[in-house]
Amino acid sequence: MSSKNDILSAIRSHTGKRYNMPDLTLDAIVYEDKIAQFSDALQAAGGKAVLLQPGEDVNDIIRQHFPDAARIASNLPDITCATFNPDDLADPRELNNTDLAIVEGHFGVAENGAVWITRQVKHKALYFISNSLVMLIDREAIVNNMHEAYKRTEGMTYDFGAFISGPSKTADIEQALVFGAHGPVGVLVILK
Amino acid sequence: MSTKHSKAAARFIANRKQEAWHDETLWMVRAKRDKMSHSIPEWERLRELASDIKLYSNSHLDTLLEEFEKNALANGAIVHWAKNAAEHNAIVQEILRQHDAHTLIKSKSMLTEECGMNEFLQEQGYDIIESDLGERILQWMHLHPSHIVMPAIHIKRQEVGEMMERVLGTEKGNSDPTYLTHAVRKNMREKFLTADVAMTGANFAVASTGEIVVCTNEGNADMGTSFPKVHIATFGMEKIVPSREALGVFTRLLARSGTGQPVTSYTSHYCKPKEGGEFHIIIVDNGRSDILARPDHIRMLNCIRCGECMNTCPVYRRTGGYSYTYFIPGPVGINLGMLKDPVKYSDNVSACSLCLSCSNVCPVKIDLGEQIYRWRQDLDRIGKASTEKKIMSGGMKFLMERPKLFNTALRFAPLVNKMPRFMIYNGLNAWGKGRELPTFAKQSFNDMWKNNKIK
Repeated sequence: MSSKNDILSAIRSHTGKRYNMPDLTLDAIVYEDKIAQFSDALQAAGGKAVLLQPGEDVNDIIRQHFPDAARIASNLPDITCATFNPDDLADPRELNNTDLAIVEGHFGVAENGAVWITRQVKHKALYFISNSLVMLIDREAIVNNMHEAYKRTEGMTYDFGAFISGPSKTADIEQALVFGAHGPVGVLVILK
Repeated sequence: MSTKHSKAAARFIANRKQEAWHDETLWMVRAKRDKMSHSIPEWERLRELASDIKLYSNSHLDTLLEEFEKNALANGAIVHWAKNAAEHNAIVQEILRQHDAHTLIKSKSMLTEECGMNEFLQEQGYDIIESDLGERILQWMHLHPSHIVMPAIHIKRQEVGEMMERVLGTEKGNSDPTYLTHAVRKNMREKFLTADVAMTGANFAVASTGEIVVCTNEGNADMGTSFPKVHIATFGMEKIVPSREALGVFTRLLARSGTGQPVTSYTSHYCKPKEGGEFHIIIVDNGRSDILARPDHIRMLNCIRCGECMNTCPVYRRTGGYSYTYFIPGPVGINLGMLKDPVKYSDNVSACSLCLSCSNVCPVKIDLGEQIYRWRQDLDRIGKASTEKKIMSGGMKFLMERPKLFNTALRFAPLVNKMPRFMIYNGLNAWGKGRELPTFAKQSFNDMWKNNKIK
């Protein structure tokens, strides 16, 4: 407690002019075709977005994109191509060597291709440990920019949430871009 | 008197090819930033907002930190306060001790670097594993970051490949970045799964929700926190933002400025401990509250550590991060070093051409170059002004104040053109190092004017 008090009293005695909080309203960028912009931004980030066509089954789309995936995790009832329910595992470490995880996101962000997820599975590891990640969102659920995005998170409670924009990547060796630094090598967003 | 910076820079520059690569690569990142910023019409308004929000939050740290703590506690987190590096490191050690932990897996944090935490814990026998690829490479090579966002930017792929042959047994002579990155991925996977405790820094701490936000491209912070029961997050107190609405301004600026991406791959919000786990948050002062008392330098607390001022700086690009004596290099590091200990870190203030490019691109509008200029005016007061430059400046002042003498001196100036090199380029002429003097004109402008040669 004493360190806290010391720090706070140092702050109080050193703080000079107190500035006002600015008005945060601004004309942020909006897009005519949010789906097209979202797809472009995601592609630039190394991911891919596909629009589910009428009559198409989401499981077929997943299978087409990941024909070699053997160990497929999902707790979503509609995902019949899943080979196991990750929530049945007691320890997140058992998720290692998962080829593909299929999860639901809340919404997408057009300006940067990110999808907002909150932990909807038992182990948060699922979003990061599988070789590829499929995120399903409603095609109507795309906001223009991060300001709209954070407005949309109001009232959501979560222990862990994340904006995920494409696959895990690094350029730490000579600025050469490499996908799959630690997390998914590929990310597919299916717009339902 | 050469500064430590200029001596170290001379060593970096000696490898011309590497210097040129470093310069061009960082400029490429700067150009990506320009492209990104130009695609957002409201860019300049965003910078203004970011600066204004920071001025508000840093002048209300007392109330915002207490609000953050209250909300974090309500979320189930355990909040610690550290006045300095020693307290910070002791808090981390105590958490490790409580959990009988030996291995700490951590994501990149300039704050733990600032606190010398890794060295401290390693001396106590703990195994500290950096999980960011660049940081991991540096850890294997026993080096420190040369850039705050691209920590291994000064190392060539061949050096990484050779090191990994020894450490990971990768193929001899293979320095392909994809091959090497995936070799580390494999090695790190096992480390993620077996670490006892996870640690992250924080890019932002949101007062109104008590959550911390970590931005990475690799997902290493998220992998690290996915398996151990205990997560320690540490942040310098200026990382506080009032609300998620304000956070939106910063998440739009950070990656666009730092790496030229619209956003990092992962912008992760940590709110509550995992089931049956513990979420520790350390709020660190370590000199930050002292900066509040310095109105001339208060904007340094705006910094969101994007690294853009390094990418744009002509001196940083061409001399490398190791040329600076403070652990954070470039314009931001020059200033933070001077705030930490002006006598110890004054060598860095000359590593600036006052071009002000840093001030012009800074996403939170810190007057970086202007502050460096102000530090220079202070050098004499702290006894760190260069003696020979002082003598020369004194001589110039003497001449400038005596027009007759000045004009006479000017008349004799062309003699310098014929002087042997050793008389001009020697230890007494600091400006003669690495520069060629222009040839003095045969006649001064004044004389030409008087003789009606100028109409």
